[in-house]
Formats: sequence, structure tokens, C-alpha cells
Amino acid sequence: MAPRRSTGRSRSTVILLILTAVTLLTLGGRGFGPLDSARAAVSSAVSPVGSAARWVFSPFSDAWKAAFDQGDLERRNAELVEENDRLRGEVTQGSVATQQLQELLQLVGIPFVGDTPVVHTRVISGTVGNFGDTIELDKGSTSGVLAGMPVITGRGLIGRVKIVAEDRCTVELITGGSFRVGFLVIGTSAVGVAEGVGRPSILRGTNIDVAQSVEDGQIAVTAGLRGSSFPPNIPIGTVRSVRAEETTRQKLVDIEMFASTRDLTYADVVLWNPVG
Amino acid sequence: MRTPIRFALLLLTTVVIQRFLFDQFRVDGVAADALLVIAVATGMVGGARQGAILGFASGLCLDLLVVTPFGLGALSYLVAGALGGLLEGVVVHSAVWITLLVAFVASSAGVLFFALLGSLIGAVGLVGGHLITVTFLVGCSSAVLVLPTRRVVRWVLAGSDDHRTAIHP
Repeated sequence: MAPRRSTGRSRSTVILLILTAVTLLTLGGRGFGPLDSARAAVSSAVSPVGSAARWVFSPFSDAWKAAFDQGDLERRNAELVEENDRLRGEVTQGSVATQQLQELLQLVGIPFVGDTPVVHTRVISGTVGNFGDTIELDKGSTSGVLAGMPVITGRGLIGRVKIVAEDRCTVELITGGSFRVGFLVIGTSAVGVAEGVGRPSILRGTNIDVAQSVEDGQIAVTAGLRGSSFPPNIPIGTVRSVRAEETTRQKLVDIEMFASTRDLTYADVVLWNPVG
Repeated sequence: MRTPIRFALLLLTTVVIQRFLFDQFRVDGVAADALLVIAVATGMVGGARQGAILGFASGLCLDLLVVTPFGLGALSYLVAGALGGLLEGVVVHSAVWITLLVAFVASSAGVLFFALLGSLIGAVGLVGGHLITVTFLVGCSSAVLVLPTRRVVRWVLAGSDDHRTAIHP
């Protein structure tokens, strides 16, 4: 009789656990607040251990990176030197262009994102495990960071803050596809919705009116429409491969992101509150 | 009473190892999954029930660290842990490679379950060409890590009823 009792107990335990997991999935899907609070609490709790663990494990990870990423590092270093030279030249041109853009936007009453304060942060870790595109930054609620704020690099939008602890926050990258952002194609009145498709630098843009003229090579920036989670005019990327879908009366585009979401060292959180 | 405390210690240590060691060592962007390995190893040592329990707990730890749908890790690792236990119960062990194969299959199943279920409930980017690479590399790393992990799990389960049942059914 004992084995049968044991089998029955096993089955009921497993069923109970499955039901609990399904309940958690349902609550998570409905945006149950305490789950995010639990994630933030764990992030805070793990951080002191993390500092010590990072110190202990860093020689191993450095050795691993040196062994496997040496070629990449040399190539990237050469690229960066070249890019630095080019950017020095562009800085002067850029400041003039920025001034002109500010004046133009002021004329038509559009806020300029360059005026929105940002918090400079350092990326302290990447994705945990193998799914879910996230990074962890070293600033949190004490620096004014709130959930939902946009995160950018010097080149453009990379994601938004998902979980905030006191001294750190977790950012979901736009490439992961877990959220959407409204975009505007510069030089046109075409607006659409961009989302990640799980590829490192490509977003898919949808919901563009089929009557709008959108061409390969045009620039997409955040639209910042009323109620949007993002301020207007944050650069997103360059439009690639425009396709028209007559059945749904919309155009689909690929957007090649300006900012890279790989090997990030620094990122800025834009202190943008859509409600305010 | 000692077993739950040992389980908790094992989970905490594994979280730290995953977060600050394994996630740094990636091959083609894929990291070994220590939380999945302990779920599978527990199933293999303690049977399907223990594998499911520890799989649920380790998956829950993963859910607290990532932004994928909450509960997805708990359900997937529960399946992997239980599958590890079931496979261990039905195969005849004549060589070490069979143990490695069981770990490979159970871990790969856990990864596939995670990605497919996640996609079904609306998570984007989990299923794609890279999924095959992730499944294969996580399966391989689990096969490599399962032997030392089983030793640790045996220590954790020492004295528990399920451990005795699994050894002498």
C-alpha cells in the first residue's frame, strides 16, 4: 500500500505546484503589482552579495573574455578610434544643428528632448539566463529613476526601466519585444508602432498608413504622442525594407537601430514622466 | 527539518553562481543554466516529485531575476525536474553517458517548454533560429554539470524519505 500512497502524494504535490505556477502566470499577465515589488526586493537583496561575488569571480570572467573576445576587442578598438575622429568633426556641426532644431521645434511648440534631464548610469550586468533582453543599471529610485522611464545611449533609444530598486534598476531592452514604442518618420507625417522581434538591432514597424510615403533610409524617432511613455524626438533608427500590405491598409518597415544593445557600458535614464 | 534548510542554501548559492559567474561565461551568447541543472539533478537523485518541487522553487528564483512572464520559469523548471526523475526511473543505467543523456534531454525539454509556453502566452523573441542553439548549448552544459551537481543534491537529500524511496523503490 505504501508505494500507492506515495504515488498519490507525488501526483497531488505536482498538480498543486502546476496550479500555483499557472496562478502566478495569470497574476503576472494581469500586471499584479506585488510581483514587481518582489522582483525589486530581490534585486536589492542580491546587490550586496553581487558586489562581493563580482569581485571574487571577475578574474575568471576577465580571463574568459580575454580568451574568447580578443579578436573582437581589437576590431572594436580600431572602429572606435576611427569613429572618435569622425565624431570630433561632427560635434561642431552637431551643436549648430541642435541649436537650429531647438529653434524650429520651439516655433511649432514641440518640446525638445535635449532639455529633459537624464541620469547617467553604468551597466552592471546583462541578461540573467538565456531569455529576456535586460540589463541592470547602477542607479535606482534614490536618483529619481521610476518604472517606465526611457533609457538611451548617445545614439538613441535602447529600452525602458522595468524594475526599480533603491540603488539599481532593471531595463527591458526594446529588441526583446516586450513593449512597443510609437515612432514618427522624420520629414513625413507617417507614424507607426515599433517593437523588437528578438533580433539584436532590428525592430519591426507596423500600423503606418498605407497612403503615407515612407522610403528606405529615412530616420525614425519617438513620436511622443499624447499619453505616450516616451518623449518625442529620441532617435530610434533608420527605415529599411518598406512593404505595403493592401489587405490591412498599412505599411510594414524594418528599423535598423542606431544604438547597439550589445556590450553596453553606460546608458542614460531620461527622467521623463508622461503624466507630468 | 535539515533538508529544507539545505535546499534553501543550495538555491541561494545557485542563484549567486548563476547571476555572477555563469552569466559571464557565454558561448554564442548562451550561458549554462545552473538553476535548471539543480532541478534536473534533484529529479534524477530524488525522483520526479522532488525534481518537481525543486524545479518549481529554482524556476521561481529565475522568475524573480528576469522580466519574462512571472511563473514561466517555475512551470518550465518543474517540468524539467519531474522529467529528469521520470527518465531516470525508466532507463537502465549501464554507462555514465546515459546519465549525461538524461540531463541533456530533460534540460533541453525545460528550455523548449519555457520558450514555447512563453510564446503561447504572448512573450516575443523567445522562439526563433537562436532557440535551437540555446537548447543545444544549455543541454550540453547541463550534461557536463550534472555529475558534480548530483553529488551536492545527494548531500542535500540525505535522510529525506524521497531519497530513500528513489534509491530503494
